[in-house]
Amino acid sequence: MKKIKGILITLILVYVATALLGENFLGGYNQGKLLERTGLYGLLGIGVAFVIIGGGIDLSIGSVVCLVGCGVPWLVMRQGWSPTSAVAMAMLVSLGIGLWHGLLITKLRLQPFVVTLCGLLIYRGATRGMAEDQSQGFGGEHEGFRALGTEAIAVTDKFGIPFPFVIMVGVAVVAWIFLNKTIWGRYLFALGNNEEAARLSGIDTDRMVILSYVVCSMLAALGGLLFILNGNSAQPSDFGNFYELYAIAAAVLGGCSLRGGEGTVVGVVIGTAVMQLLKNMINLVDWLKSHMEFLIVGVVLLVAVMADEVLKRRVAKRR
Amino acid sequence: MGRPLLEVRKVTKRFPGVVALSGVDLEVGPGEVVALIGENGAGKSTLMKVLAGVQAADEGELWVEGKQVSFSGVQEAQKAGIALIHQELNLAENLSVAANLFLGREPARFGWIDQGGIVREAERLLGMVGLEVSPHALLGDLTLGKQQLVEIAKALSTEAKVIIMDEPTSSLSLSESERLFEVIRDLRAKGVSVIYISHRLGEVKALADRVVVFRDGENAGMLERDEIDHDVMVRMMVGREVSQFYQRTEHQLGEVALAVRGLRTVDHPAHPLDFEIRAGEVVGVAGLVGAGRSEMLAALFGAKPALAGEVFVGGRGGLPGSPREALERGLTLVPEDRKGQGLILEMTVKENMSLASLRRDAKGPFLNRRREEEITAEMTAALSVKTPGPWQQARFLSGGNQQKIVLAKWLALKPRVLLLDEPTRGIDIGAKEEIYLLMEKFAREGMAVLFVSSEMEEIMGMADRALVMHEGRITGELDRREFSEEAIMGLATGGKLSKAV
Amino acid sequence: MLGALALSGCGEKEGGKAKFALVTTGVASFWDICKKGGEDAAAALGVEVEVLMPSSGDDQKSKLEDLLAKGVDGIAVAAIDPVNQAGLFDEVAENAILITMDTDAPASKRKVYVGMDNYEAGWMCGELVKEALPDGGEVALFIGRLEQDNAKRRRQGVIDCLLGRDKDASRYDAPGQPQVGPKYTVLATITDQFDRAKGKANVEDMLTKHEGIDALVGLFAYNPPLILEALKQANRLGEVKVVGFDEDDVTLQGIEEGTVYGTVVQDPYEYGNRSIRILHALSQGDKSVIPEGGFINIEARQIRRDNVAAFRGDLNSKLGK
Repeated sequence: MKKIKGILITLILVYVATALLGENFLGGYNQGKLLERTGLYGLLGIGVAFVIIGGGIDLSIGSVVCLVGCGVPWLVMRQGWSPTSAVAMAMLVSLGIGLWHGLLITKLRLQPFVVTLCGLLIYRGATRGMAEDQSQGFGGEHEGFRALGTEAIAVTDKFGIPFPFVIMVGVAVVAWIFLNKTIWGRYLFALGNNEEAARLSGIDTDRMVILSYVVCSMLAALGGLLFILNGNSAQPSDFGNFYELYAIAAAVLGGCSLRGGEGTVVGVVIGTAVMQLLKNMINLVDWLKSHMEFLIVGVVLLVAVMADEVLKRRVAKRR
Repeated sequence: MGRPLLEVRKVTKRFPGVVALSGVDLEVGPGEVVALIGENGAGKSTLMKVLAGVQAADEGELWVEGKQVSFSGVQEAQKAGIALIHQELNLAENLSVAANLFLGREPARFGWIDQGGIVREAERLLGMVGLEVSPHALLGDLTLGKQQLVEIAKALSTEAKVIIMDEPTSSLSLSESERLFEVIRDLRAKGVSVIYISHRLGEVKALADRVVVFRDGENAGMLERDEIDHDVMVRMMVGREVSQFYQRTEHQLGEVALAVRGLRTVDHPAHPLDFEIRAGEVVGVAGLVGAGRSEMLAALFGAKPALAGEVFVGGRGGLPGSPREALERGLTLVPEDRKGQGLILEMTVKENMSLASLRRDAKGPFLNRRREEEITAEMTAALSVKTPGPWQQARFLSGGNQQKIVLAKWLALKPRVLLLDEPTRGIDIGAKEEIYLLMEKFAREGMAVLFVSSEMEEIMGMADRALVMHEGRITGELDRREFSEEAIMGLATGGKLSKAV
Repeated sequence: MLGALALSGCGEKEGGKAKFALVTTGVASFWDICKKGGEDAAAALGVEVEVLMPSSGDDQKSKLEDLLAKGVDGIAVAAIDPVNQAGLFDEVAENAILITMDTDAPASKRKVYVGMDNYEAGWMCGELVKEALPDGGEVALFIGRLEQDNAKRRRQGVIDCLLGRDKDASRYDAPGQPQVGPKYTVLATITDQFDRAKGKANVEDMLTKHEGIDALVGLFAYNPPLILEALKQANRLGEVKVVGFDEDDVTLQGIEEGTVYGTVVQDPYEYGNRSIRILHALSQGDKSVIPEGGFINIEARQIRRDNVAAFRGDLNSKLGK
């Protein structure tokens, strides 16, 4: 709880500020959209949190989003696959990607930054080649399949809880149980803090590292799938660009330390919500201009991280 | 003694909730070697930081050469002639020796670094500490002992009058330590004063002109050269009589618990290792730094799997390929680097203690919280770990208590064999004694204990039997009745033992 | 021997076909049509054409430099940053015949510009909005980015038309303030920097902020489909008018179904086709293809429900579908 205090306060502050300054912010439509975006980006954040807690980093998330976001409609619309087999394929490929990253990092001892940076280039390049740089989408077809990304559980006539959010919450609950209630979660935190000590305590650290990359790539794939189902338009050259950075930023906002061994799922989800809320705020508040987006997001991120550090030092001093 | 070179008068330093120093005094004369001893937390390090300008005192005065001074930073202390050499060296391994000597204060001519000047000056400084290496050599290629001498040369280059050395021999081999002592004696002859902080009382006795003892942030006594005595020092540090430091009892030896056959390590593949240890036996491994002792333990534990050989333990042969495999056979290792390898400092006492037994106690994949708490309570009591609670992060505990946590982690598994690598390094005297008592207890309970130690006293005090290693091979095996410093040193330096049976 | 080899390196191709290149601003189906036009022309003329689609301004620079290194006879390029790339284009123009297409770089030494007047096209788009909202209303514009000249002029054309101003292609209203005219108000121009999820979120946020908005205009090819998606999820398809730009499949389908009022299309096929023909003529020394003012206008067209089917058929046949 104390670990997410700072980000929770930030969320409330930004929420109240936007409610006061923005137009129609509290309307059911907008609230639903905020949940939807938190769901979509939150999946990526939860995925990268696993890797970060384990002491690694994954820069290939945006490209995996692109690979799946373009690959699934490409398989369905151009290759005539059924949606089910296309999704199965996407999950299989992302599992392979995570496995591959993990093996290179543990067995060949390559640096995670390098491995996943190469991944970032390779998967985007492969997608562009596969889709021949063509925009991908489902046109007007496969409405039932797409409902997974577009529909919501209606609450009022204006407000519903979007499926992507429901899916993300489900993933978050499983992730929370994994990290806090299973021995594997404890192992992941242990190895993120001190891989050598964890290994010397009899933990199969390699297996845990590989698992964290698999989880990250598969959640990126699930995110990519929902992004394309939701938006229905993906261009191989730019779909998912920088999404790894949004995911990492949300994870850091939510209390993950890039040194490893620290982080909470709830924090990451709140961190994602703050990022999406800020973007929403910039569009809804009249005197905030859209070209200020990166400036505002960057400043808020930095202030939140600074406040967090100051709080931590105060607590440490009091000991 | 004439006018003191450095004088500390009634210095007090408070941290939130703790008084680290409470009105302490210290005098150092010119060309004097003063040993400062005390248990961990006695205030030695705090005083050194005050002297070196790292932290400011809350009360009290500092006098250098009859003038009162106050330092607001390391540079000011350096100007006044005080240099501090940290336990962990502050050198850049990827730079040359000469570059290290002048790092941050390179003599420059018109903005260009005067390379020729640096090299000449470096040669002069290295000569002063009797170090024969090229100024162009890469620091990282030197042994730790030589790096230490480079650090001293660096201190000399600042015209230091007082050099403070914090545990300088903690990672040196015996011969390197000897070399360091020569340099210190030489400095003394040149009028440079040394404040020498060490846990190794043998060194203190050999080196110091005077011993100052701290306890709980206060002066606990002082010994002149001819009063320096091991037991007296221990008594002053601990504040009570330490009658029998090594409380050994006779051990009942059982079956062979660990048998090693033809073990070839990655580091010394040419020398196969063979030995056996019985249940209830305590065996010490002696030798110089680099003799391959830690590498042997790492190979037994699967931390750095061996190339060939057999390790029989718990009725199983073969080689452990990973720590996990070793643990399954009942082999455990307390590594040398407690903070880097033994503990997860950011995790709590409970999380550390239960880490190895989580899988055994798990319900499916889920943590067994109750069992975790039981183990923690049981071990905290059995090893008398001093912690405010199981929730405390390991990094906030003292070295001795941290070591007990590492032990607790393994004891929860009820191992057959306990391997320990320098089990009391950097631990204060009181805690050392407790660790020894625990090793005794484990042996009595039927565990086989194999420990590596660079402290001769420890081997002779604790072991039933000693294996002595030199350059990767076991050069001899000594029974308790055969123990003597000469015998062990002879084998450790590669000599042959004429074994009188 | 050596002399002959050296000579054959410059200009005169011994038996080899003349080589031309088309360099686009990025990757899009729009450029695929352009590519098709170029390839058809090349096949008809018996020359070679290479089509390069860079991912950024920097990438375009290195692709151009690579072409020079490889040696080509002529290049038709679509400028990403017309003002700042003038120097680069001049360097290219010294080593090969250079013309611009789609987006001009007037300050450079390019021989001729083949394209559409984006201001005029924007104006045509504004006319479609007026037809869709005869009684006036509030409008928001969505666009990828405003840094490039064609985007600025296209947007200005829409605004000037809606505000009932005189035509003046040199006018520029900085974004940020709503533009209020007698009948129509342009509430905002919002960019997404080609991030599609953001492009869709922009539309959603506009629907939140201005619940009574009357029309949404998507000025880059991918914007109208994102607008449609957002409207569909808000259950407001048909209620809010949509006017588009370019010929994305989804946009054209929307016109057929009545969810999009209309779109303005360029003729990328003709850009590619005409560019290669002009480059070929110039390489043969025929300067007559350069008109007064150095601008070859390939006119934009308005597509509405009445002509969408015919247009789609023509498009598909050009793409070989």
